[in-house]
Amino acid sequence: MKRFGVKTMQAEDEIAAVGMAIGASFGGAVGVTGTSGPGVCLKSEAIGLAVMTELPLVVIDVQRGGPSTGLPTKTEQADLLQAMFGRNGECPVAILAPQSPADCFRMTFEAVRIAIRFMTPVFLLSDGYIANGAEPWPIPRLDELPKITVTHPTGPNATSTDKLHENGTGEAGKFLPYKRDEFLVRPWAIPGTPGLEHRIGGIEKEDGTGNVNYEAANHEHMVHTRANKVANIALTIPDLTVGGANEGDLLVLGWGGTYGAIATAVERATRKDLKVGHAHLRYLNPMPKNTGEVLKRFKKVLIPELNLGQLLLLIRAKYLVDAVGLNKVQGKPFLVSEIEAKIEQMLAMS
Amino acid sequence: MSATALPTLTPKDLATDQEVRWCPGCGDYSILAQMKTALAALGTPREKMVFVSGIGCSSRFPYYMNTYGFHTIHGRAPTFATGLRLARPDLQVWMITGDGDGLSIGGNHLMHCIRRNIDIKIILFNNEIYGLTKGQFSPTSRLGTKTKSSPQGSIDNPIRPLSLAISAEATFVARTVDIDVQHLRMTLTRAAAHKGIAFVEVYQNCKIFNDDVFAYATDKSVKADSILYLEHGKPMIFGKDRNKGIRLNGLHPEVVELGNGIGVDDLMIHDEKVESPALAYALSRFVYDAKDPKSFPECVGIYRAVEHPTYEEQLDAQVESVIKAKGRGKVQDLFKAEDIWVVE
Repeated sequence: MKRFGVKTMQAEDEIAAVGMAIGASFGGAVGVTGTSGPGVCLKSEAIGLAVMTELPLVVIDVQRGGPSTGLPTKTEQADLLQAMFGRNGECPVAILAPQSPADCFRMTFEAVRIAIRFMTPVFLLSDGYIANGAEPWPIPRLDELPKITVTHPTGPNATSTDKLHENGTGEAGKFLPYKRDEFLVRPWAIPGTPGLEHRIGGIEKEDGTGNVNYEAANHEHMVHTRANKVANIALTIPDLTVGGANEGDLLVLGWGGTYGAIATAVERATRKDLKVGHAHLRYLNPMPKNTGEVLKRFKKVLIPELNLGQLLLLIRAKYLVDAVGLNKVQGKPFLVSEIEAKIEQMLAMS
Repeated sequence: MSATALPTLTPKDLATDQEVRWCPGCGDYSILAQMKTALAALGTPREKMVFVSGIGCSSRFPYYMNTYGFHTIHGRAPTFATGLRLARPDLQVWMITGDGDGLSIGGNHLMHCIRRNIDIKIILFNNEIYGLTKGQFSPTSRLGTKTKSSPQGSIDNPIRPLSLAISAEATFVARTVDIDVQHLRMTLTRAAAHKGIAFVEVYQNCKIFNDDVFAYATDKSVKADSILYLEHGKPMIFGKDRNKGIRLNGLHPEVVELGNGIGVDDLMIHDEKVESPALAYALSRFVYDAKDPKSFPECVGIYRAVEHPTYEEQLDAQVESVIKAKGRGKVQDLFKAEDIWVVE
C-alpha cells in the first residue's frame, strides 16, 4: 500500500484506530478503518464525533455471528441496526453494503465518494461469506471510473447576506466552517490553510460559525440539518433495479451476501413463470429514492436475512408494507432451496 | 538571509472571540496566557498550529486559541492527534488533557502515544480532581482526599503522571506550575522545540473543587523547601538557604544537608540527556511531605530531553524505501496484480 501513498497504522485497539482515522480526515486525508461487529461497538462514540464534526470517514464492518464475541469465523448480517442506530442521540450515517466479492470494489469506491462529497462517516457492511468468497471480476479501466473531486477552501466564504441561525448575519471576509452547500454539506477546510483557523468539536454548535451553542432552536435546526444532509445522499445514488418479474406477486428483497442465493432462487421461480422479482439493496441509508415505488409494484414482499429481521424492521417502518422475513442465524449462508421453499409457501398463501 | 522578516505573532493574534468559561481564579487562565506568549515568539505560522483536546476543563482550551483545534472525546485525544500527525507531519500538534481525561479513560492511549514517540506536545493540567463534573477524585488525587465520590477519603492509590510518562520512555518530560509564569513559558517553549513526544505536567489549581492542593509549590514562604528546580548540568540543590541537596546513595536518592563533610561535589548533577530513564524515574517519585523536616522536595523542571527517531519519520522512511525499491504505484497495475484471464 505504501507505494500508492497509503499510510497504514496498526493501532492499540479499535477505538484508537477510528480516532486516528478521524484525526487524519481532519488533516485532509480520507480516514478508513475496518473491523467486525464488536469493534463497531467500540468505535461508536468516535463515529458520533465524526457525525457531529462532519468529517469524512469510512468504517468497514465485516459482519460475523454475534452477539459479543459470537462466532468470529462464521457469517451473519446482524449489524444493520447497529449501523443505523448504534450511537447516542440522533446520529445518522450513510450505510452501504456490497452484494458479492466483486461488488466490494464498486461499493468501497462509492463509500469513499460519499464520505468525501457529504463530509460524513459511511459504513460499508460486508460479511464473512463475501470476505471468504471469490468470483470473476471484470477489471475496470481507471479512466472509466467516476471522478472523485476533492476541494479544500483557501479563503473566506462568509457574505454579509449569510443568515446565521439565531445570531444574525455573516461578515464578509470571515470563514464559516459550517456554511453549507446545496446538499447541506460544509467545506473541508484543513489545518495549514492560512486565514481559515477554526475549532471543531463534539459539543453542539451554531450552524455556520461552528461556535459552541446550547440554544434550543439551534439544536433542533442542527439535528434536522444533519439528518437531511444524509438523506440528500439519495440524490446521488442509482435507482433500485429489479431482476426477474418487474412487478407481480412477490418481491424478494435482500441486502449483502445473500445476493447469489436469492438471485438463483428467483431465477428458478421465473423459469416456472411465477411472477417473482428480486431487488437487492446496496445502499441502506439512505435507500434509493424509488424503493417505495418498487415495493408497491408487488403484492407481497419477502426479505431473507441472516438475522432476526433487521432490514425487515426498517422496510416495514419506513414504507408501511407488510413485508415478511425469512430468517436464518446459523452462521451459514442461505441454501437456494431454503429461499425457493419460502417463495413457494408465500405464493401459496392468499 | 531573507530581507523580508516573517510576520510576527502577538499573543492577541492568538486570542479567539469566545467567552472563556473557566471559573475566576482557575489556573487554566495562566496556562492560556503563557501558551499564547510562548507561541507568539516561536515563529511558527498560526495556521500550522493545531490544538487537540479530550474532555474536561482542561480540554476547553482549543476554543480559546485562534489556531486550528479539535475538541474530541473523553480520553481519546492521543488517537486523533496521532492520526493528524501521520497524515500531516507538517503541522505542529499540541494535545491538551487533564489528570482525569488523560489518566482515567485515556491512560491506555496516552501510554501508546508516548511509547511511539509521536511528535506531539502533550500538556497535562493536573489539578488532582475531576473539575468539570464538579469534584470527584481523580487518578492523581492523594490518598484520603475527601470528595463527593469519596466522602470517607479516597482509598485509590494515585498514579504519578511523570512516572507513567517516563516508564513509557517519553523523550521529553517536564513538570511546571500554573502561576510560575516564567518557568511555565520556558517549559512550553522547550516542549515546542522538542522533536518527538513532549510530555509536560502542569500543577494546576482548581479553585472551586480542590483549592490550594499545590500551595506548597506556589507559596513563596514555603516553596524553597518543597520545590527543587532542575537545571541541566547543575547540582541538585534546594532549600531557603540553598543548603540542602540530593545525593545518590547506591541506587537511592537521599536528601542531605550541606556541611559536615558533605559538599556540593557529592550531590547529583542533573542530566537531561542521559539515555537511561532510571534517574528521571527516581526523581518522579519524590513527594513533598510538609510534616517531615527531612522530606524530599518535588522536582520542577525538565526531567528528560533526549532525541530518538519519531514514529512519523520512521513511517515516512519506510514509504520512501518502498517507493525507491518498487517505484511509485499505479492503481491500474494493482488491478492486474493477481491471476487474470480474457473473456472473448
